[in-house]
Amino acid sequence: MKRYLSLVRLMFLQQFKTRATAEGVKKKRGGSVVLIVILAVCFTPLVVAIAVSMYYMGKLSNGNVYVGTYLTLNCQGLVLMFGLHTIISNVFTVRDADKLLYLPVRAHVIFLSKLTVAYLNEIITTAASIVCMLLPFGIGAGVGATYYLMLLVALVLIPMLPMLIGCIIAMPLSALIASFGKNSVFRTVLRIAIYLLVIGLYMYVMYNFGFLVGTENGNILVNPELYIQSVIDDFIARMSSVMPYFHPNYMMMSSMFASSFTGWIVGFVVTIVEHLALLALVVLIALPFYKRLLVLSLEDGGGAIRKNGKEPYKLRNTGVVRGLVMSDLRRTARDGQMGFQSFAGIVMMPIVVVLLYVFMGLSDEGDTSFLQLMSLSPYYQVVGPLIILAYMTFVGLSTNVLGLYPISRENKSVAILKSLPVSFKKILLSKVVLATAVMVVSDFVTCLLIVVLLRIKWYYGLAMLVSLSLIGFGSMCITTLLDLKYPRFGWANYNQSLKTTKNGWIAMLIGLVTIVEIALISVMFVVWYSLTDAWYVILFMWLMIFAAMFVFAVVAYMIMTKRANKYFENIEI
Amino acid sequence: MIRLYNVSKTYLKSQTKAVDDLSLEIHSGEIFGFLGPNGAGKSTTIKMITGILKPDCGTIEVEGINVADNPIGAKSLVGFVPDNHDTYDTLKGIEYLEFIGTMYGVNTATLKARIDEYALLFALTDDLPKMISSYSHGMKQKLAVIAALIHEPKVWILDEPLTGLDPQSTYQLKQLMRKFADKGNTVFFSSHVIDVVEKVCDRIGIINHGKLVTVDTLDNIRANGKATLESMFLTVTSDDITATVAKPTDGEDK
Repeated sequence: MKRYLSLVRLMFLQQFKTRATAEGVKKKRGGSVVLIVILAVCFTPLVVAIAVSMYYMGKLSNGNVYVGTYLTLNCQGLVLMFGLHTIISNVFTVRDADKLLYLPVRAHVIFLSKLTVAYLNEIITTAASIVCMLLPFGIGAGVGATYYLMLLVALVLIPMLPMLIGCIIAMPLSALIASFGKNSVFRTVLRIAIYLLVIGLYMYVMYNFGFLVGTENGNILVNPELYIQSVIDDFIARMSSVMPYFHPNYMMMSSMFASSFTGWIVGFVVTIVEHLALLALVVLIALPFYKRLLVLSLEDGGGAIRKNGKEPYKLRNTGVVRGLVMSDLRRTARDGQMGFQSFAGIVMMPIVVVLLYVFMGLSDEGDTSFLQLMSLSPYYQVVGPLIILAYMTFVGLSTNVLGLYPISRENKSVAILKSLPVSFKKILLSKVVLATAVMVVSDFVTCLLIVVLLRIKWYYGLAMLVSLSLIGFGSMCITTLLDLKYPRFGWANYNQSLKTTKNGWIAMLIGLVTIVEIALISVMFVVWYSLTDAWYVILFMWLMIFAAMFVFAVVAYMIMTKRANKYFENIEI
Repeated sequence: MIRLYNVSKTYLKSQTKAVDDLSLEIHSGEIFGFLGPNGAGKSTTIKMITGILKPDCGTIEVEGINVADNPIGAKSLVGFVPDNHDTYDTLKGIEYLEFIGTMYGVNTATLKARIDEYALLFALTDDLPKMISSYSHGMKQKLAVIAALIHEPKVWILDEPLTGLDPQSTYQLKQLMRKFADKGNTVFFSSHVIDVVEKVCDRIGIINHGKLVTVDTLDNIRANGKATLESMFLTVTSDDITATVAKPTDGEDK
C-alpha cells in the first residue's frame, strides 16, 4: 500500500512539475490572474447558457430519474472524450518501463498507480461537468439536500464507466497500433483516425439519444408552452426505455432522487456495488494487457535493416531551416504520445464542418434543410465565411499543439539545439514554419469542405485560407515565444505535463482577440454592402482583413525574433 | 585553443556558484583532461564553452572567437559529445548525423564520406538505419562521437565520453583523440576514469566547488611528487571527505 501511494504521488505530482525559479524569489502571478479573468468573462456566457438549459430541463421534467441518468451519461461522455487519451498515454503507453521494472514493486501495483492517476485526472473533468449539468438540473427540479450530498458521491463514481469503456477501447487500439510494426508515423495516423472515429460515434449516439424532436401534440407558434412540454414528454418516454440499461447510473440517480430512506439506501448500496464491480472489471481486463505491453516495450527491434547489396542509407542536401523542420517533424510524428497530441487537434476542424453539414444539411424527405434555407439568403455568402473564419481561428489556434509547446517538446534535447551553430531566430522560425504548415494543410481541407458541403463560393474559401495562414503564423510566433520564455523540461509524460500549462489558453485568447478584430473590421462593410449591394465592398472588406492579419503576422514575427536570443540564453538545462 | 577568463555561473534555481571565477587556457595540439568530483562544475564549464549556458561574468574564447560576441562562429568550430544520450531517440542514427551535418553546413558528398569512415571505425555502419531508441548506451555514445567529428571541428569537447563504451571503442576513441590533437586541434574532455586521463592527457585541470584547484602537465605531476594522479586528485578534492567523515568534535577543538 505504501509503495502504491508513493507511486501515485510521484506520477501525479510529476505532471505538475513547474519551471525552476530562484530560491526566495516570489513567482509573478499577475499575468495568470488577468488571463483567467479574461477567459472567465469569455466563457461564462456559454457555461451559463448550458446551466440555464439544464435548470429548465430539471424543472420541466420535474427531476425525472431517466433524464438525470441521461445527463450523467452526457457527463461520462465528456469524461471519456477528454480522458480517453489520458488513459492511453498514462496507462497504455509504456515509456518508463526501464525506470520502474527494477523497483521492488509488482507490475499490478504500477498498473494500479497509473490507473489511479488517470482516474484523478478524470475527476477534474467530472467536477466541471457536474457543475454545468447535474447541479443546475437538481436546482431546477427542486430536489432536497440528499441530491446535493450525493453529487459528491457522483463525483467519485461517474469516471468509473468512462474508465471501463476507455480501457476497452484503448486495449485493442494499442494492440492494433502495435501490430503495424515499426512504422511509427503510420501508427500515429492510425491512432488519430480511431480516436476521431470514437468521438464521431459518441456524438452520433448522443445526438440520436437525446435530440429534442417536435411532436404532433402542439405547434410552437400557437402554444409554445404546450409544444415544449410535449417535446420533453416525448424525450422522457424515449429515455425511460433506454436509460435503465445503464444500470449503475440509473441506480445512482434513483438514490439521488429517492423520497424515502429505504429507497436511498437501497439505491446507494447497489450503486456502490455496481461501480466497484466496474472497477474490478477494469482491472481484470486491463492488467494482463498492461503486463504484456510492459514486456513488449523493452523489446524494440530498432527499425530498418540493411538490404543485401544496397546502400544502407541515403543522404539529402537540405537547408538549415528545412533540416530543423524535418528533424522536428520526424521526431514528433514518430513519438506516439507526442504525435497524437500534436496532430489530433488539428483534424477536429474538418470533422466539425462535416458534422455541421450533417446536422444542418439533412432534412426529412421533401422538406427544405436548414442549410438550404440559409444559402438562399443574399447575406449567406457575405456573413457565412466571416463566422466560419472566426470559428476556425478560435478552434485552430488553440488545438494546434505543435505550435503551442514547440520548445517544451524538445525536453532535454534543447541542449543540442543550443549547441548548434545556428541562430536562435532560425530555430524559432523553423518551429513556427512547421506549426503553420501543418495548420495550413488542416485549414485547406476545412476550407475545401466548406466550399463543397456548405456551399460557400470558392473565392471566399481561398480568402479564408489566406487569412487563416496569416493569423496562424502570427499566433504561432507569440505562443512559440511564450513557450521559450516559460519552457517545461524534464517531463516524462508529454500529454500530462502540458495539461498544466497556459499556452493553450493564451492561444484561445489570441483567437478571441482576432475574432473581435474581424468583427470590428467587417461590421461596417456588411452594413455598407446591405445599403449598396456592390461587390467591391466585399472585396475591400477582405483586403482590409488581409492587411490587418498581415500586420499582425509581421509584428508577431518581429517581436519573436527580437526576444529570441534573450529568452534562449536564459534557458538553463 | 580555448580560453576562459574569470568565468562564473550561478544557476537560477540555486544560490551557490556552480563555477566560480574560473580562468583557464587550453592550447592547440593538446589533450586536456578536466577532473572533479560530482557537482564540481565540470559539465557547467563545458556547457558554457559550447554555448549552452551563458556565464554570469567572464569571457570565453574558442580559437580566438568570443563565444558571447560571435556564438555561431565559435560553435561552428566546436564538436561536442554531451553526457546525456536520451535525446533524439525517435530519429534513426543516419537521420541524426544528416541533421547535424546540415546544421554545420557539411555538403552531402563530404558528409557521406565521413559517416562511412567513422561508422566503420566504431562498427556502427549496420546500425545507422535503425532508430536511436533501439541503441545501447555505448552505441549512442559512438553516434554522439561521430556527430561531433562530422564537420571536422578545431576544438573537440567531450563530457564523460568513455562511459558505456566497449574496450575496442575506448581504444579507438583514445587513438582518435591523439590523432585529432596531433593535427594541431584541441581536445577538452571531462572524465571520472583517472587511469584513462593519466594515459591520454597532456595536461589536466581539477575543479572542486566550482573553483579550479590544480592545472598542470602530467609530466610535472609525476616529476614533482611521489603521488599518482589518483592520490593527487583525492588530496585536492578531499575537503568533502574531511568535512563529513573527519569532522572534529567539540572536545577535540578545545
